[in-house]
Amino acid sequence: MLQPQKIISRNYELPESWTLATFEKAGGYQAIRKALQMEPAKIIDEMKAANIRGRGGAGFPMGVKWSFMRPHPTKPAYLVVNADEGEPGTHKDRTIMERDPHSLIEGCMIGAYAIGAHVAYIYVRDELHLAKKRLWDAIHDARAKGYLGNRPFGAKDYPLEVHVHTGGGAYICGEETSLLNSLEGKRGEPRFKPPFPAQVGAFGCPTTVNNVESIAAAGPVLLMGGAEFSKLSRLHALNDGGSRLYGVNGHVEKPGTWEFNCGPTMNELIEHAGGVSKGRKIKCVIPGGSSTPVLLPGELFHAPDDKSPLHEWHGKSVFDVPMGVDTMRTAGSMLGTCCLTVIAEGTCMVRVAQNLARFYKHESCGQCTPCREGTAWILRIFDKIENGQGELRELDQVADIASGIVGNTICAFGEGAAGPALTFVKKFRAEFVAHIEAKGCPSKGSIL
Amino acid sequence: MPTIKLDGREIPFEKGDTIIRAAWRQGLEIPHYCWHPGLSVAANCRMCLVEIERPGGRQMMLDVLNWDAEKGDYVPSKKPKLEPACQVECLENMNVKSESSAFVSDARKHVQEYLLLNHPVDCPICDQAGECKLQDYWLQSQRAPKRMHDEIVHKPKGVSFGPTIVYDAERCIVCTRCVRFMDEIAKDPVLDKRERGNLGEIVLSPGRQLEGKYTMMVDHVCPVGALTTKDFRFKSRVWFLRKVETVCPGCATGCNAWLDYDPRTGEVPRLRPRDNQAVNQFWMCDDGILTHKRVQSGRVVTATVGRGKDRKAVTPSAALKAAAELLKGAKSVGAVLSAQRSTEDNFTLAHIAKTFLGVGELHLASLGTWDGDAILRDADQNPNTRGATLAAGGAVHPIGELTEPVVGGQVGVVVALGGPVDLDDVTAGALGRAKLIVFSDAETALTKMADVVLPIASWAEQDGSFVNRQGTEQKFVAGPKPIGDALPGWDALVRLAKQAGHPLDWKRIKDVRKAMGGAAARPSTQPTAPEAPPAE
Repeated sequence: MLQPQKIISRNYELPESWTLATFEKAGGYQAIRKALQMEPAKIIDEMKAANIRGRGGAGFPMGVKWSFMRPHPTKPAYLVVNADEGEPGTHKDRTIMERDPHSLIEGCMIGAYAIGAHVAYIYVRDELHLAKKRLWDAIHDARAKGYLGNRPFGAKDYPLEVHVHTGGGAYICGEETSLLNSLEGKRGEPRFKPPFPAQVGAFGCPTTVNNVESIAAAGPVLLMGGAEFSKLSRLHALNDGGSRLYGVNGHVEKPGTWEFNCGPTMNELIEHAGGVSKGRKIKCVIPGGSSTPVLLPGELFHAPDDKSPLHEWHGKSVFDVPMGVDTMRTAGSMLGTCCLTVIAEGTCMVRVAQNLARFYKHESCGQCTPCREGTAWILRIFDKIENGQGELRELDQVADIASGIVGNTICAFGEGAAGPALTFVKKFRAEFVAHIEAKGCPSKGSIL
Repeated sequence: MPTIKLDGREIPFEKGDTIIRAAWRQGLEIPHYCWHPGLSVAANCRMCLVEIERPGGRQMMLDVLNWDAEKGDYVPSKKPKLEPACQVECLENMNVKSESSAFVSDARKHVQEYLLLNHPVDCPICDQAGECKLQDYWLQSQRAPKRMHDEIVHKPKGVSFGPTIVYDAERCIVCTRCVRFMDEIAKDPVLDKRERGNLGEIVLSPGRQLEGKYTMMVDHVCPVGALTTKDFRFKSRVWFLRKVETVCPGCATGCNAWLDYDPRTGEVPRLRPRDNQAVNQFWMCDDGILTHKRVQSGRVVTATVGRGKDRKAVTPSAALKAAAELLKGAKSVGAVLSAQRSTEDNFTLAHIAKTFLGVGELHLASLGTWDGDAILRDADQNPNTRGATLAAGGAVHPIGELTEPVVGGQVGVVVALGGPVDLDDVTAGALGRAKLIVFSDAETALTKMADVVLPIASWAEQDGSFVNRQGTEQKFVAGPKPIGDALPGWDALVRLAKQAGHPLDWKRIKDVRKAMGGAAARPSTQPTAPEAPPAE
């Protein structure tokens, strides 16, 4: 049985956990006091030691990202927090913002101080109204107390400000450079890289963009010590440290979001969520948001090289391998946001694929050709197959269309859309073929 | 100079050059839609993807799946991560594969198919056909019918963007060149993109039109048929047109242009900008582009003798005779050069006037100033003020200064080169008292009161040169044959001299240029491949 961890979510169950009083009573705003006494480089070292792999989905180590920041002779630096949590099947960042906004504010202060910024922007997805309200309230309270402002805590002459910025209403604004464009009031379209945000970011200034959960971990890490935090993880040896939020949704009895030490297996998580609903069998799992390729229980973990640290799980079901950035990549998918979407037997996978393809077609920003046209073409084909007008010829084209997107686009949206489409047609080809032959959904289109 | 390798060929580059720019300097085209050498990089069309091996670097490989029909299964394969040549800066010893990479060919084929996926393929009624990048690259990279057989996404068509431009959203590939042009060059960010995904289209700012001095350029930056000018729309298939190098006669900037004419009819349906980094980079203004209208409208077609109601069409030789009679009977002659005519024409008149007709002071007819700007347009709307002045070999006086000698009776006959001219009432009234011989391509205030009018070729119909505001002599080449009885200006003048008993053995334009010798022999910058990147 998994034991929930209480580090990021330490205050979740406290009464009125979002208030400054509760937060302070629980030891809040101590980490930033400690940080302001430290050299910024030391803070970055702690974060590196903590092995916080970016919680937004890409898994880039946060400490390393911070260390890319170099002071610019004339321009200020910015910390931008990506709170545009919009990936279908992802629901973890909002719990922090709604239930413990002050821990994010404290994390922002630590992060800004460590990278040499005085201002942090939290770019919150438009639909998260409660999160925005609680963050603004938290900022106002912290400012009223003199925690934020020209002299935080009256102690140090290092002005710190945090602002909430309402998102522009597009999934693509969760891509960091797109987010920066949107933050600047421009069209939310990804920028091409290089230059990376650490050189040219928000308003043309050096900028670090981090996920909500990554930043919220900064306070506890400083108090606990980076190395100690990292060691909590089952995957500490793979430099995938600490604890993080895991979500389970879809066909389970008790969907939810919990914190665990890094490295629970998918089977453990599903069990923690009360098992598959109505006693059904698992058909497949989307491991970390809709852009991560789907995994089947029958798939085996393949790491034949006995010198590889991943060899330990070689031959096991991918559902019994600890979920980490590197393990999931080896499993042929991605860790993503660690929010599992469980799909039970009896579900029409064409319908699932069509549903997700519709999302990607709708959210493609349309800037670059392969993604703009490819996502829409894939949806057309899935639509036709689901509606009984599909042809085998078209099903066979999906792989080629998706391959034409992968690697040819400005941002990772292309891969996020093409990867799942590829795996759906590969792993569930029989269902697609059955739709084409039956001229429609044999299961009457049920998504249950 | 440091170099990169492109398909095995050494390409020199300057610091900061992208791969596509370095190749372009060498006259090599890496297929592209959104990149334009005079605009910022957008990297959105993905047509210029190339395979890059960096010295000491490892190539990033990506996993893809292919459907193998024979095996009846999906087979995994790898492909290198391709990068846009328009975005990646050259590094010493970089090895770039464009035409030589099968992965690049495959990516281009994909991009090309995606771009045509929802395109109406209405080439038979599209003005861009024949000079469309979609057609060119389809032949180069795709050469196969598209695999999607369903109805395309429909979007607005025939949208009027303003007085000059029509937009077709279905043909648009949303490369944003037009948006960037209006933003960066015209400094009027009136265009932008709306909607997401494959619904994207170009729109105007609310309450605005595409207006101003630089709207027609959006047609020329558009790589496809999405933006067309109302001026050229449905006028001609481009494959019926021939092009010659010309220089815009619209102002003293002397923008380099292509003169497109129909050899069957002699019509000149359009002018297009021609690159010259030292003069106009890649651009022209609307008024300049529209100077093609001067070739057909308002022309003097036949020679005439007599004023007002007595004006009668005659043969050119009869007109020349009449003119020669006037000159023979004259005590004293005045000569008026034209800032609208070529240096060669002006030199010929100046030479005849000074050598044979005893003219002391030369005068100059020109148009007044107009609204110049800091982009291209010069306040002097005459293309050759400097050339005419140089041709005179000394000072020239404004035409207004001819008033006194004419009124005073010192000058009885005036020989003038025509072309558009602004005359004030006093000057016009005064000139009316003299006997007036006008060589003109256009009906103007001067031709209206002339005793003898001889038709001459417009700049489009004769070889010649202008000297622009920078002092650069720029040659232009004859396109269609002169209209009606018109002759090249210098030729008509030489014939007049002969008729008046002063033979000159100038038979071709090069004879005139030889005679000009030092008078106007400055290096001619024939626009070639640009030498420097456009100013930021």
